[in-house]
Amino acid sequence: MNEVLKLEHIQKYYGNGENVTKAIQDISFSVQEGGFVGIMGASGSGKTTLLNCISTIDTVSAGHIYLDETDVTEINEKQIARFRRENLGFVFQDFNLLDTLTTSENIALALTINKVPAGEIDGRVREMAGKLNITDILDKYPYQVSGGQKQRCACARAIINNPKLILADEPTGALDSHSSQMLLSTIQSINETMGATILMVTHDAFSASYANRILFLQDGAIFTEILKGNDSRRTFFNKILDVLTMMGGGVNDVL
Amino acid sequence: MYSKLAFRNIRRSLRDYIIYFVTLTLTASLMYSFLALGFSPDILAMTENMSMLTSGILMLSVLVALLSSFIVGYAIRFMLSQRKKEFAAYELMGMEAKTVRNLFLVENSMIGGAAFLLGSLLGTGLSGLLNQVVQNIFEVPHHYQVLFSLRALGMTLFFFVLMYGFSMLRAAKVIRRQKVIELLYDNQKNEEVGYQPLYRSVLTGLLSLAAMVVGVILLEKALHIQTNEAMLYWSGACLLILAGVYELHRKVPVLLYQLAKRNPRRKYRGENLFFLGQIGRRIQFSGRTMAVVAILLTVSLATMFVGLTMGAGYKANMEAYYPYDAGVAIDAPLTKNSMDSVRSFVEERCEAEDSVTYYLYAVPNEAIEALALSDYNHLREILGLSPVSMSDNEFLIHCDTWNYMDGTRQRLEQQPEITLNGRTLTPAETPILTEPMEQYQMAGTKGYVLVLPDEVASRLSGEKIRLVMKLEDSGYPELKNELKQFLNSGKWQPDIQLGQGLPERVTMGVTVKAWGVANSLTGFTTLSFCGLYLSVIFIILSCSVLAFEQLSAIDRNQKNYAVIDRLGVSGHRQASLIRKELSTVFLIPLFFPIVLTVLLIVGTQFFFGDAILQEGLVLFYGLVTILLFCAIYLTYFGATMFLFRRVILRPEMR
Repeated sequence: MNEVLKLEHIQKYYGNGENVTKAIQDISFSVQEGGFVGIMGASGSGKTTLLNCISTIDTVSAGHIYLDETDVTEINEKQIARFRRENLGFVFQDFNLLDTLTTSENIALALTINKVPAGEIDGRVREMAGKLNITDILDKYPYQVSGGQKQRCACARAIINNPKLILADEPTGALDSHSSQMLLSTIQSINETMGATILMVTHDAFSASYANRILFLQDGAIFTEILKGNDSRRTFFNKILDVLTMMGGGVNDVL
Repeated sequence: MYSKLAFRNIRRSLRDYIIYFVTLTLTASLMYSFLALGFSPDILAMTENMSMLTSGILMLSVLVALLSSFIVGYAIRFMLSQRKKEFAAYELMGMEAKTVRNLFLVENSMIGGAAFLLGSLLGTGLSGLLNQVVQNIFEVPHHYQVLFSLRALGMTLFFFVLMYGFSMLRAAKVIRRQKVIELLYDNQKNEEVGYQPLYRSVLTGLLSLAAMVVGVILLEKALHIQTNEAMLYWSGACLLILAGVYELHRKVPVLLYQLAKRNPRRKYRGENLFFLGQIGRRIQFSGRTMAVVAILLTVSLATMFVGLTMGAGYKANMEAYYPYDAGVAIDAPLTKNSMDSVRSFVEERCEAEDSVTYYLYAVPNEAIEALALSDYNHLREILGLSPVSMSDNEFLIHCDTWNYMDGTRQRLEQQPEITLNGRTLTPAETPILTEPMEQYQMAGTKGYVLVLPDEVASRLSGEKIRLVMKLEDSGYPELKNELKQFLNSGKWQPDIQLGQGLPERVTMGVTVKAWGVANSLTGFTTLSFCGLYLSVIFIILSCSVLAFEQLSAIDRNQKNYAVIDRLGVSGHRQASLIRKELSTVFLIPLFFPIVLTVLLIVGTQFFFGDAILQEGLVLFYGLVTILLFCAIYLTYFGATMFLFRRVILRPEMR
């Protein structure tokens, strides 16, 4: 398997002089193509900062991030937009769908931005909607559908361009348990059937148990990591809980 | 304590307040400057009926205050919606609703007070300019002098408090009555999007267009009606046109939007999908406001154009109608001595600097009258023009009416020589002269006159006699009636030339420049200034509404642009989309007002162009109207764009 993502000694500081906050101390890891990696940690551990640096929304203070062979930290402002539309897909906690567009248009938006020929767009949207079971809501506006449906629409938008990496930031954060379960199954299926590489930030152990590998962050550094291997999801879930307990988070950080 | 917190809040919310502040300042400034002009003793002393201007401006100020109060209310509602969460936070911390309300009122009072003071200061400066314009219209020697009037300041304050107080009271009521939960979650309410079926939009659009066309036809008919019935036609026409403008602005954007969305090629090209979504929301939620703005803009542009053109057109005609301080025209073959007593009558009342008595000679077989060269040059001297010379076998034509110019030139080309009493004359080196000389009564009666060598003219029959006088201080308005009474009183005994008889009806005319200015120019100046006052304020208020409409959606837009930023739309393209979105929002309410204004300009040129004795005046003031409008409109557009880009684009993209 190829290495899709590689982080080398990433550091991120905020402020200057005596008021420096170290959001990320020194993080290095890599993700294989088709991997589903979860990033866990308490609030302030640096999860979202790390995701923002990988997604080029934020810049690093030191270190390098490689996506395929491209050093993300060296990309200039003019190239960032192209880099994002060709390589990344985003799924956010609050869906980030445009209320001004219908569900199908929200999915199509990613294609139009990527300059896909107009004649192909409707077909590709319908195909993706079929895979994610949202065909019935294609003509509805985001405020007319449930949170779970919105998030599946966001997933469809994130993967429709076949990005090299899908970044999900607390994708189940705004969903009820049933919708969360359905969405996680969807994400897992995207990973398994479409071979998409996924990096998911979450503080929820249940969500994280769908990943194949978990990186635990504490105070801006990797505390430990665990692999699912051939374990069942329940076993993997219990392992996650063990690590969280070891990290001192206790039961409060579990669910 | 409140004032300190309020001051900090203003600084922090500067983005929201800036357009509001500018609008209030400009409104106060215009209100003060026009009121100061209306109350200025110097201006009022210009003519006896100049109080028309004061009344007009006062009445319009009431209208402006009422209309502005709605706009201020609109602005305050916008700011309330921007700060609901902040107010909720104050209340959650234990601050009483009453205290929050007072805080908001203190903030707004500070802004209102500052806008009033700055507006009055700017208005004082502007009043000087307006003063100069009026003095220039009346041809009074002038220099820049600001008009300070306590009465105008008091009235401005009164109207300002009226328009501001009403809106503040409403805002206070809203804050007091809203619950914390409403303040906290108001922004999260869903907005339903729904459109009429396409066929209904098309049908309503066509009906609106038909209403506008009928309105224009009624306007055209009204122009030919001389009775009070014309008012009925005018009112009907205006109502139909404005209703058409409103409905078309409601329907056409929806129609275009729906059509664009039906065409996948157009919809999916570039970032059109995102753009259509943004515009669709604006059309859906601000369609009514934009249609009202379109009506306001139509009224503003029409008022400004009609006001400016009528004022300037009349001034242009004044030059031609009243070039002489005093003149008497009698269409009868009287002796020149007959005019001596008339001249003496005038000289008893005001000193005459110069005078000339002359004939308009009848030219056999030609529909033109003739002037002797010496009389013509005397008239030129009275008007401050240099004399002209020509040889004994030459002639020239004076034509100060531009619409006869082409015909005169053609006639000269076709028949360059004329023969009078067996003498053939050729055109002088400069065959046509055009300075304003009043050629419908004094220097001719048809809009042009033939100028002949004295010797040739003396052989023609002098059938119409004229007396023109140049008076010290240009005379006075009452002279006209006094002179008329003298001519009709029987005290004046005219002599008829030997061998001539009086025509069946003798036409007699008296012209006094001072009277013309006093009784006519005043009315037109009042119309021009009132038109300008109303239209500029309407434009400012309309622009403010559009700016607020756009800024009220800024937070939602910030989120939307952040989404496309992450989807890979470059900063450059985002900036371009913002430009496109704002331009569309500002252009939508502009389309029909501009089309109608252009139609109005063309129609005015077509129907009244010939009556205005200055070529290109209608088009010139049409252009002035559009440029003045564009200057105000673009300023607001630029300010909104600046604020929009600042909030939405990341610093490195701006």
